[in-house]
Amino acid sequence: MPPAASNECTPPRNLSELFLGFLSIGARSFGGVLPWAHRAMVEERRWLSQADFTETIGLCQVLPGPNIGNASIVLGKRWFGLRGAIVAFLGLMGLPYCWVLALALLYTKWASVPLVSAVVTGVGAAGAGLFLATAVKLGRPLAGNWAALLLVVAIFVAVAIARASLLFVMPVAVAIGLLLARKGLL
Amino acid sequence: MILLKLALFFGVLSFLTFGGVSSVVPEMQRYIVEENGWTTAADFMQLFAVAQSAPGPNVLISSLLGWRVAGFAGSLVALVAICAPAGVLAWWVSELWERFRDSPWRSAVQRALTPLVVGLIAAGGYIIATPGSPDWRLWLIAAGSAATMVVSKVNPLWIMAAGGVAGGFLL
Repeated sequence: MPPAASNECTPPRNLSELFLGFLSIGARSFGGVLPWAHRAMVEERRWLSQADFTETIGLCQVLPGPNIGNASIVLGKRWFGLRGAIVAFLGLMGLPYCWVLALALLYTKWASVPLVSAVVTGVGAAGAGLFLATAVKLGRPLAGNWAALLLVVAIFVAVAIARASLLFVMPVAVAIGLLLARKGLL
Repeated sequence: MILLKLALFFGVLSFLTFGGVSSVVPEMQRYIVEENGWTTAADFMQLFAVAQSAPGPNVLISSLLGWRVAGFAGSLVALVAICAPAGVLAWWVSELWERFRDSPWRSAVQRALTPLVVGLIAAGGYIIATPGSPDWRLWLIAAGSAATMVVSKVNPLWIMAAGGVAGGFLL
């Protein structure tokens, strides 16, 4: 455990405590998992200090992969090795997986009703809007940086309009991004 | 065979997922709708809506798509395939991480990735709101939702609920 961890924090004592903790995160995580992960692990159960939590999440955000899935694997492993990683992951995903499939089954059953289909499509459009808002919020620090904004537009056009494969767009964009960052343009 | 294709696609996507699952939604749509025709753009949009309105990590969109393509087995394969490869990587790297804490390389990567993530998430919003030829009603709902989210601290669930009501009236 990194030295940043405060001595007031105690990691979960056994696998079932770990499982229940992650279960409580997954079960409540309406509208984003991160705030609930923070509440459950830092505030309620005091498994981690604030600094340690931030550090771990930071790592998972820099690495590829679903952030919170990574966090469950990294933390589970830190405390109980391979078994911990698997238990934390299953605890996190178990309930939301069942709920989202149940909801999808329900939706499929009713999708032929025009009103249901219209409402769900409206929800989808609003969800798309939330993506746009997220892009705006994340992009705020780039305001005034023409090189970064040009890169954003190029990526948008390549992916949304030209529908280029990410396998092509990603390496090219990362290479250009690193080049610009090294020249101090990003 | 189709399970293998799913596993391979989501397994590769696992390593391409930067800045959260939102940034690879465009690629999921491209592969599942455009390239393989496993479902329509309108159905993709509705599955996306279902995934967004349920509690849980965003990554569960992959299990819904896997389910649509190959049933329950597909849902499990897609979820594990998108999580496991990156999870194994995180497992290894978490031990090395402390050493790179102050590396200038680390902040360069972070700065290089920001425009990529912003561009990809914006593309996801556009693609989902445009399942066919451009429809001003869908764009209106998306724009209203985006504006609300940017200027206020309203819980996103309410914004999506409002989108559902608007959809019921407009569509």
